[in-house]
Amino acid sequence: MHAPQVTLIQTVGLRKVFRKPDKGPGIRGSLRHLVQRKFSDHVAVAGIDLNIAEGEAVAYVGPNGAGKSTTVKMLSGILVPTSGQVFVDGLVPHRARVENARRVGVVFGQRTQLWWDLPVRESLELLRDMHGVKGPRYQARLEQLDSVLGLGELLPKTARKLSLGQRMRADLAAALIHEPRVVYLDEPTIGLDISVKDRVRSFVRQLVADGTTVLLTTHDLADIEELCQRIVIIDAGRVVYDGDLQTVKDLHVRERTMSFELAEALTGVDRIAERLPAAQVQLGSNDHELTVTFDRIALGAREVLSAVLAEAEIVDMHIDEPAIETVVRKVYAGELRVGAGNAPAAESTS
Amino acid sequence: MTSATVPAAAPLPADTRMRRLRAYRRMARTALRSLMAYQTSFLFGMLASAFAALSMLYLWRSVLSSGSRHGFDWPQMKAYLLVAFVAGSLVSSYTDYRMANRIRQGDVALDLVRPVDYQWGRFAESLGFVVYEAGTAVAVALVAALIFGGVPLPDPHTWGLFVVSALLVFPLRFGIVYVSGLLVFWTQNYVGVQAARIALITLFSGALVPLVFLPEWMRVASAYLPFAGMASTPALLYSGGLHGSAATTAVAVQGVWSVVLWWLARAMWAGACRKLTVHGG
Amino acid sequence: MAELRRKLWLYRRLLGAHVRATLEYEADFWIMSLSAVLVQGIGVVFLWAIFRSIPRINGWQFWDVVLIYALVVVAEGLSVLFAQGAWTMAVTVNLGQLDALLVRPYPPVLQVLGSQVGMNGLGNLVLGGALLFAATSHVDVVWNAGRLALTVLLVISAAGVKVGLNLLTNCAAFWLRSPYSMFAFSMHSLGELARFPITIYGLVVRIAITAVLPYAFMSYFPAAAVLSAGTARWLGLLTPAVAVYCLWLGVAVFRHGLSRYESSGN
Repeated sequence: MHAPQVTLIQTVGLRKVFRKPDKGPGIRGSLRHLVQRKFSDHVAVAGIDLNIAEGEAVAYVGPNGAGKSTTVKMLSGILVPTSGQVFVDGLVPHRARVENARRVGVVFGQRTQLWWDLPVRESLELLRDMHGVKGPRYQARLEQLDSVLGLGELLPKTARKLSLGQRMRADLAAALIHEPRVVYLDEPTIGLDISVKDRVRSFVRQLVADGTTVLLTTHDLADIEELCQRIVIIDAGRVVYDGDLQTVKDLHVRERTMSFELAEALTGVDRIAERLPAAQVQLGSNDHELTVTFDRIALGAREVLSAVLAEAEIVDMHIDEPAIETVVRKVYAGELRVGAGNAPAAESTS
Repeated sequence: MTSATVPAAAPLPADTRMRRLRAYRRMARTALRSLMAYQTSFLFGMLASAFAALSMLYLWRSVLSSGSRHGFDWPQMKAYLLVAFVAGSLVSSYTDYRMANRIRQGDVALDLVRPVDYQWGRFAESLGFVVYEAGTAVAVALVAALIFGGVPLPDPHTWGLFVVSALLVFPLRFGIVYVSGLLVFWTQNYVGVQAARIALITLFSGALVPLVFLPEWMRVASAYLPFAGMASTPALLYSGGLHGSAATTAVAVQGVWSVVLWWLARAMWAGACRKLTVHGG
Repeated sequence: MAELRRKLWLYRRLLGAHVRATLEYEADFWIMSLSAVLVQGIGVVFLWAIFRSIPRINGWQFWDVVLIYALVVVAEGLSVLFAQGAWTMAVTVNLGQLDALLVRPYPPVLQVLGSQVGMNGLGNLVLGGALLFAATSHVDVVWNAGRLALTVLLVISAAGVKVGLNLLTNCAAFWLRSPYSMFAFSMHSLGELARFPITIYGLVVRIAITAVLPYAFMSYFPAAAVLSAGTARWLGLLTPAVAVYCLWLGVAVFRHGLSRYESSGN
């Protein structure tokens, strides 16, 4: 496929446990806690092994509370792991924060990198100075970012006054002003409207094309489909799947739906259904529409097509691609336990 | 934002009054409970003022070690300072800051929607707090008294007036804190104004130095200002520094100022409502 | 060396950024400055009122005490102007705003300290400077180049002590999950005891502000050194060392706090 690549991000048995003091309410509780120290442990990340090579675009997916943000925070040096190891470009992030910051760009969907009371331009200039980006290079970078993100119009505005979409664009610029090799995007499209989402996605696509290593955490599965080849699914602090996106879809989403628009109203749905016993044949909202849902392992698209053609005249046709959404929903619902890219565990019939 | 109307002067029907009273009682209790939630913050605040009182006590002990000054010997000064401390802890900076912050952040819009009079509402809340504030302050004062070798009992001639004066401290302090909180409507800045206000008031209330130590013109000024009633009057009545007609006058002045400030606040409120700007976002 | 210069330059940039952001509120600036002058001024009035009735406190006369007081005001002014950011820690740490700082290539502790410029700092400095000048011209010492240099050194060190202790006490934000800096504020109030000659205090208090949280090195001991007064003056000469110690301690505790940071809050 391709030459062996440099592993840029590596974690071994990465673990993070949050300790909450178990104290009763009010001042009595606090005082008692001074004597009887009780804690409850919350394991956010329970041992994760990751190996991400340079230039990969990896989707990091999981339900709320699965440990995605916690992992990203450990990778960026914000949190110190409870145990296990993490290396990014040869550095341990939380030990070499400043050095690590030079090589990494982070965008947190819900928090901003910008100085709240300053115009965006000044925030970027401060970051430029911190990173030591030289003048001409900085200008070139700004132009680049302007062409994809429309940064120019945001520059004079105070961060406080930006809309969510504008802020996200500015934050992306801020994270990338120093052209880092590694970029973590934690929920970058959350709350954005579709036009801004498109902009962000095309921007990330450009990043990936340029060879930047990208780790993308998101709930918006459309982001993944467009941007990543590899997906890591995490649940309750553990990796549940780590491998090729297409493989996951092919292996685990066996359901296909073909929809047909017919020339004439169909009288005999049953005749088609007889030809395709393994499939679910249904009329759409009007007599001219037909949908056939089937297990693609059991049945091929061609067979479905010929069965319908035998009974009706087709005007238009549409095949639904399997969506990662389905896989993930099944993982969230606990219906699916996915092996690490190998033969999957038995899939429960849904 | 339309201006809120100042409640009509006509007396309300009895059941509305009852409902209002119940609402105020509820606000007082809620305030107290919320204080419990921020207990640590409040207690650290109390610790801060305890340190201040501590430094005063040590300082005056040193000053008076060579004999009494301006009619104060050490035991009397101890009593004075401790009473001033307790008086100063009521309607504390906690309430102060909280109220001004709400005004500044525009939360006042929410308060205006509630079917209770804003001023009475704040009064009820402060009443809720003051129970806790007074309790904690007295406890701290007793500990301090212990450390410094006890404190004399209240002066037998004036202790009745002392009780009245002590009770008047609350509405008086409320008036001052509330009026300066309302200033936020005009100045927008609060931290600087508050710091300046506290410093000035503390000086003229006699909490820093008993007023007799101040030069003549300051003493005269303090007689016309409401601040003496916040600390000096009750403290002097306890320690025996005020007698006879001077004592009764001082307490009367406390009462009068409480009422004047109350009505001043109402007038300012009406003015502020006309000017009300509610923050966006 | 170039690295240090760069760090300082960036620090100045950070301070400047905040100043620009807040100069929008011009009225605020004047109110805060005047308020600072008023607040500190009233403290002096208080001292003066006391000294009207007594000649000395524990052997210290009016202008000596004013000198001690002036040192506090100047130290406070310098710390407010250059390291006020420590007071934002309670909010920054507990509302998850520290994350942004940790992914920038500049020491987080410096980012925190440099994130704010207190507008009352200038007022403090002006008044403190005036008081210092007045006090030094009234006290009972012989002024020469050496003593002058010593005074300058000690004033700067006093500010260092204040900054270090501010940072140290505000690190409580890493342990107390409250967005209010009340613990640090109460310790600051403890430090206010150092406005007076500490000989008036009982032993416990003296130990607290000399050895535990060396606030006395912000004012009393340096003043004693300048005035060559008593045995305290020898301790006063240690002020620069104490300043370094306080700063080091503040940074060390900050780093420790960082290792426990949980990045909660939104």
